[in-house]
Amino acid sequence: MASTAVAPSRGVTRDPVLLLPLVVAAGLAVGWLAVREHVSGPRIAADLALAWSLAAASLVVLERPRWRRPGLLLAATGFALLAADLEWATSHVLWTLGFVLEGLWAAFLVQLVLTFPEGRSWSGVARIAIVGAYTVTLGGQLVAAFVAPDARDVLSLASHPKAAHTVDRAQELAGAALALTVLVLVLQRGRAWRGPTRRTQEPLLLAAAATAVAGLVWLGWVTAADARVSTLETIARAVAVTIPLGIVAGISWSRIRQPQASELVVELRREAATTMRERLARALGDPTLDVAYRLPDARYVDADGRPLELPEGSERALTTVTTGGEEIAVLIHDPALLDDPALVESVRATAALVLENERLAAEVRSQLAEVRRSRGRIVAAADAERRRIERNLHDGAQQRLVTLSVVLGLEASRAHPAVARVLSRAQDEVEDAIAELRELARGIHPTLLRDEGLQPAVEALARRAPWPVTVQSTVRDRLPEAVELAAYFVVSEALTNIVKHASATKASVLLEREPATVRVTVTDDGAGGARIEPESGLAGLRDRLEALDATLSIASEAGQGTTVCAEFPCGS
Amino acid sequence: MLIVDDHQPFRAVARELLEAAGYVVAGEAADAAEALAAVAAESPDAVLLDVQLPDGDGFTVAKALEAPDGPAVVLISSREADDYGARVASSGARGFIPKSKLSAATFAALLE
Repeated sequence: MASTAVAPSRGVTRDPVLLLPLVVAAGLAVGWLAVREHVSGPRIAADLALAWSLAAASLVVLERPRWRRPGLLLAATGFALLAADLEWATSHVLWTLGFVLEGLWAAFLVQLVLTFPEGRSWSGVARIAIVGAYTVTLGGQLVAAFVAPDARDVLSLASHPKAAHTVDRAQELAGAALALTVLVLVLQRGRAWRGPTRRTQEPLLLAAAATAVAGLVWLGWVTAADARVSTLETIARAVAVTIPLGIVAGISWSRIRQPQASELVVELRREAATTMRERLARALGDPTLDVAYRLPDARYVDADGRPLELPEGSERALTTVTTGGEEIAVLIHDPALLDDPALVESVRATAALVLENERLAAEVRSQLAEVRRSRGRIVAAADAERRRIERNLHDGAQQRLVTLSVVLGLEASRAHPAVARVLSRAQDEVEDAIAELRELARGIHPTLLRDEGLQPAVEALARRAPWPVTVQSTVRDRLPEAVELAAYFVVSEALTNIVKHASATKASVLLEREPATVRVTVTDDGAGGARIEPESGLAGLRDRLEALDATLSIASEAGQGTTVCAEFPCGS
Repeated sequence: MLIVDDHQPFRAVARELLEAAGYVVAGEAADAAEALAAVAAESPDAVLLDVQLPDGDGFTVAKALEAPDGPAVVLISSREADDYGARVASSGARGFIPKSKLSAATFAALLE
C-alpha cells in the first residue's frame, strides 16, 4: 500500500547530488586514460557524453522518492559504461577488468526497464530475463576471460581461440533471445496501462522497444553472419541512450500535462451534475480514480453507499482525506500521481469539504440499504413464524379434534338412539371447529403453496370463491418462497375484497412469468371504484411487497371493474 | 388390514372403529419405514394411510405400494383433499377420506 506521507530523504545514497562529483571524477579519469593511450577524440567524447547524460538523467529521476531504484540503476549504467572503457588501459589488470565489465551496462538497462518504475520485476518471466542478462554479460565475459587468446588477459587459464569464439557466439545468440523477450514484455506492458501511469511511462516503453529491436537486429545479424558488425553495434548503443531520455521525458511530460493546483480548486468547486469521483478523476487526469467514503463504523462505501474494500499492494495508491483530524474518505488512485505530492496535497485540501457532504449522503444511502435488508429479514422471519404456527395448529389442536370427532362418530353408531343424537350433535360441533381451524391455518400459511407451488395454490383459492374464477399461468417452475407467498396473499386478498365489496359475477387471475419479473393480475367485473385504503389488507401487503422490491397497483374506475396488479423482480 | 398414522390415539380409535365393523387389523405403523416393513411382513388387503408422516409423505408410500397384487390404499388426513391439489389423484391410492369423516361406512364405500 503506497502512502502519501513521504519522509524527507537523508543519507549519502539518498542524496542524488553526491553522484555528480563521483561520475564527473570517473569520467575525467577515463578521459585522462584515453588521452594517455591515444584513443581517438570522438570516441572519448561519445562515451563521456553518454555516461554523463545517464548520470544527469539519474539526478532528475532520483528527485522522485518513488523512483529511487530506477534512478540508481541509471547512474550504475553510466559507471558501467565508463568501466568498459578500461579496456583502453595498457595495464593488464585494468584491461582485464574492462573486458569482464564490457557488457554490464546492457544488463543494468534490462533490469531498469523490466523493473520500472516500482523497482520490482514485472513478472516471473521478467525476473528470468534480468537474471539471464547478468549471466550473459557478466558471466559470459568472465568465462570468455578464462579462454581469451589475448596477452593482456590476466585471468586467462589457457589461450583457446576456438573456445573463445564459441563463447562469443553463445553470448550473441543468448543476447538476441533476451532482446526479443524484452521486446515482447515491453509490448505487453504497454497495452495494460492507462491514465497517469501510461503518460509517465510511455516514452520509456517506446525507447525500450526501440533499443530491444536495435539489439535484436545487431545480435541477430552477428549470429547469422558469424562476424562482428561494428556499425550495428554503434547504432544499438546510440539507440540505448533513448532509455534515460525516455524516463526523463516521461516525468517532464506528465508534469507539463498535470494541472496546477489553482486550476484544480476552480474545477472541483464548479457546481456540476457530475459526481465528485468524476470531477476528481478529470482534475487529476486519472480515469481509474475511486473515492471510498469512510463511515463512522470504519467501513468504506462508494457514493451510492455500496460496501467497498480498499485495495492492497502497490498497484494502487491510497490518499486519505481528513477534516478536523477525522478521516472522511480515501482516494484510490494511480501511484504515478504521488510523483507530484503538491498536487495530491492541494486536492486533499480542496476536496475535503465537498467530500464531507458526499460522505454524509453515502452514509444515508448505506443506512437505507441496511434498512431495506433488515425489512427483508423481518418479512422472512415472519413467514417462518407463520409456517411454524400452521404446523403447530395442524399437528396439535387439529389432530386431537379430528380424533375426538371420530370417537364421537364411533360411539354414536353403537349408542342408544337418544344418546346417539347428542353425540352426533357434538360431532357436528367438532366438525365445525375443525373446519374453522383449517381455514385459519390456510390463511396463515397454505400447505398447498408450500408443497405444490403458486399455480395449484391459486387454483384452490379460485375453487373456493362463490363465483367462477379462471386461472391462467405461465409460471412453470417454483419461485423463491417469499415471492410465492406474497403473490399468493395478493390473489387471496384481492379475491376476499371482491367477495366483500365488488358485487362481481366472475373474476380472473393471471400469473405471468417474464425473464426478469413475475406479474400477478386479478381482475373482476364488479362495481369498481376501489382503492388501497390505509390500514387495509392491501396496504399491509404493499409493505410486504416493497420488502421484495415489488410493486402493487390498483386500477378501478367506477363501473369498470377492478384490476389489482403486483409485479415482482425475479430472475429465472 | 394395516393402519399407518403417527398419532397413537388416532390409530387406537381407528382400529376400534374398523374392528367394530368386522375388519381384521393385522398391524399398525407410525411412519413410512414401518409401514413398508409391515406391508412386506403381513401382506394386508388394505392400508389406511396418513398423508403426513414423520419420515416422508403418504403419497410416496402409496406410490411404493402400487402393484397389481398390492393392497388397496386409502389416504387419510386432517387436511382436506383440496389442500393437496393433484397429488391425491396421482398417488395411485384408492381414495381419500378427511380424518374427521372416517367411519366404517366411508371406508367401505371406497373399498368396493
